[in-house]
Amino acid sequence: MLRWRQQFWLLLPALGLLTLVFLVPIAHYLWLSTQTQTVLTELRPVPAGAAQWIRLWNDSRFWQDAWQTLRFAGLSVTTEMVLGLAIALLLNEPLRGRSSLRMISLLPWALPTTVMALGWRWIFNDPYGPINQALGWIGVTPIPFLANPSITWISTVWADTWKTTPFVALLLLAGLQNIPRDLYEAAQLEGASAWQSLRHITIPLLTPYLLIALVFRLAQALGVFDLVQVLTGGGPAGSTESLALYAYLNAMRFLDFGYSATVMLGAFTGLLVLCGALALLWWWSSGRQDLAGGGR
Amino acid sequence: MTLGCLLGSLLLSVALWAKPAPEPVSILMPAPFADATAELVETFNREHPGIALSVTRGPLETEAVSDLAISSLLLGNSPYDVLLMDVTWTPKYAKAGWLEPLEAWLGADALEDLAPGAELGNAFDGHLWRFPLVADMGLLFWRTDLMEAPPRTPAELEAISQSLQQEGRVRWGYVWEGRQYEGLSCTYLEVLRGFGGSWLRDGSPDLNSNAAIAASQWLRHLVDVGITPPAVANMAEPEALQTFETGDAAFMRNWPYAWAELNRDGSLLAGKVGITTMVSEPQEPHVATQGSWGLSVLSSSQHKQAAVEALQFLTSAAAQKQLNLNWGYTPTRLSVFEDPELIRANPVLPELQAALAAAVLRPVTPIYAQLSDLLYREVNTVITGEVAAAPAMETLQRNSIQLERSTGGIS
Repeated sequence: MLRWRQQFWLLLPALGLLTLVFLVPIAHYLWLSTQTQTVLTELRPVPAGAAQWIRLWNDSRFWQDAWQTLRFAGLSVTTEMVLGLAIALLLNEPLRGRSSLRMISLLPWALPTTVMALGWRWIFNDPYGPINQALGWIGVTPIPFLANPSITWISTVWADTWKTTPFVALLLLAGLQNIPRDLYEAAQLEGASAWQSLRHITIPLLTPYLLIALVFRLAQALGVFDLVQVLTGGGPAGSTESLALYAYLNAMRFLDFGYSATVMLGAFTGLLVLCGALALLWWWSSGRQDLAGGGR
Repeated sequence: MTLGCLLGSLLLSVALWAKPAPEPVSILMPAPFADATAELVETFNREHPGIALSVTRGPLETEAVSDLAISSLLLGNSPYDVLLMDVTWTPKYAKAGWLEPLEAWLGADALEDLAPGAELGNAFDGHLWRFPLVADMGLLFWRTDLMEAPPRTPAELEAISQSLQQEGRVRWGYVWEGRQYEGLSCTYLEVLRGFGGSWLRDGSPDLNSNAAIAASQWLRHLVDVGITPPAVANMAEPEALQTFETGDAAFMRNWPYAWAELNRDGSLLAGKVGITTMVSEPQEPHVATQGSWGLSVLSSSQHKQAAVEALQFLTSAAAQKQLNLNWGYTPTRLSVFEDPELIRANPVLPELQAALAAAVLRPVTPIYAQLSDLLYREVNTVITGEVAAAPAMETLQRNSIQLERSTGGIS
């Protein structure tokens, strides 16, 4: 057993790294959010007190983007979890050619987001893209996938789902392979249906993996940037602009660094609250799982 | 033998040491410009042994190049000495202190040889920050095989479009850049001026004027009556060109590069396309949004003298002539426009010159990016039919005024 002093020294490099990578930038952002640093101040920081935070609070675009980001993350992550679980269950079965199937299903995830977004921009093209071409053959009028505010956000979810479902499936597949086969055999002997096995064995034992996938995907989806930047540029009518895109616009296009930092921190605060809620859920469910699995 | 070798290498290193290393000058350009200037850079390096000019191929998209440049400038130690800049960046970069004033290097009369319209957008706050390399302006492309003469008013454009559509000769009448991005601001500015409006009046936003409302209303109207496809709300230059070059549209708004694309070998429309300026209401001007590219020297450069030499070489009449002959780039110098050899090779040159003379600038201000972001977002809302023109332009005016107030004035 290591003494606490030794433990401290062994932990120090990791702590230092975390401080450098997370705490220092966050502290800098906190400071920046109390400054006005724009092209008009010739990029010199001028103390601004709470002005940026008041501006954020009153900025309807921030709240609209917050809602749009949540909407995007909510629908895409839910779809990805359901589809990912279905694919993982399928790939866990002893199918012929399973390993090549597993590899193929991972391909979308291996593509850089900008590349796949350019691809989807073409697939969604109205009227020359493949989907609308195919619809044309069966006499359906072209769908404005990227030009109608009530449709376009679904198109972004669609593209995101295509890309990241494999990630969820992979995580869940790893989880599935950790569930002992004999549990299913025992259940079968007891006369449990496939649905009952899924409901009472698979899902509970997979919960930690579901939560990991959920946390990873939510964090990524709430920070969505490159996909919308390439696919829609935030349009049409601002309907797909995310918080990350708004922060980027403020920093890189408007050279308004104080406000960009405030937008990012506002989004970060929201993310913390969400992750806190998820962590609570995790804690609660892992407590339950310990009880359930205590006899094993 | 060994001694000889040693002596030889010693002499060689002395010789190398005595000859100063060439002064490195690095330019960041969007990839197509980097390709087009490659030959010129080679010539320059041959003629200037004391300078090693190199070009970094930046991204294709205008704003992506700006992101790259700004990231390097913010880090404080930019590897570039010269930037190829879009016209709208100049005030922002100048205000941020990133550019070197050029009048001391090029002389106060540096812009005198430029064709009318090309001199715009290079100066700000009483200094010259940029020298134009390639002129660029919004053009109305029309099909010479489908009509005798191009429309000059919005009503004519609609009438020709609809009759061609009814005859089944084209699927759409008119395609343009309507995506929520900078290109829409360019499109809108031309229509706005054609309806008698103006983005700024006396330095203040004037976007809820009758003309401003009518202009955005007209763009929506084109979609409503089926002259323009609804997909226009996500059309940038490539998408508009795609629709036009497949022969699906009678008119297109685009930049001069599209002319070369449409007339290349194997193009469906080679020899069937004319260019002119944007339509306008009777009595109102036909204008072209100016979108020129020019070279600026960075204030952080350690090699300004060499950088200015490279700038002068690349923007010289001889270089512009070569860029036009080999790459179809529109020149900025009057003498190049009037070169008989070039006019023979590029019969469209006088029309480009006329369009350039009709060029108008987008607002010249360090906060242009914010102003334009407000504008294209709101006009795009009108185009999608989400909000009617009048209330949308009221919102735009209110937001623009608020931006003006919070930043203490636009220019």
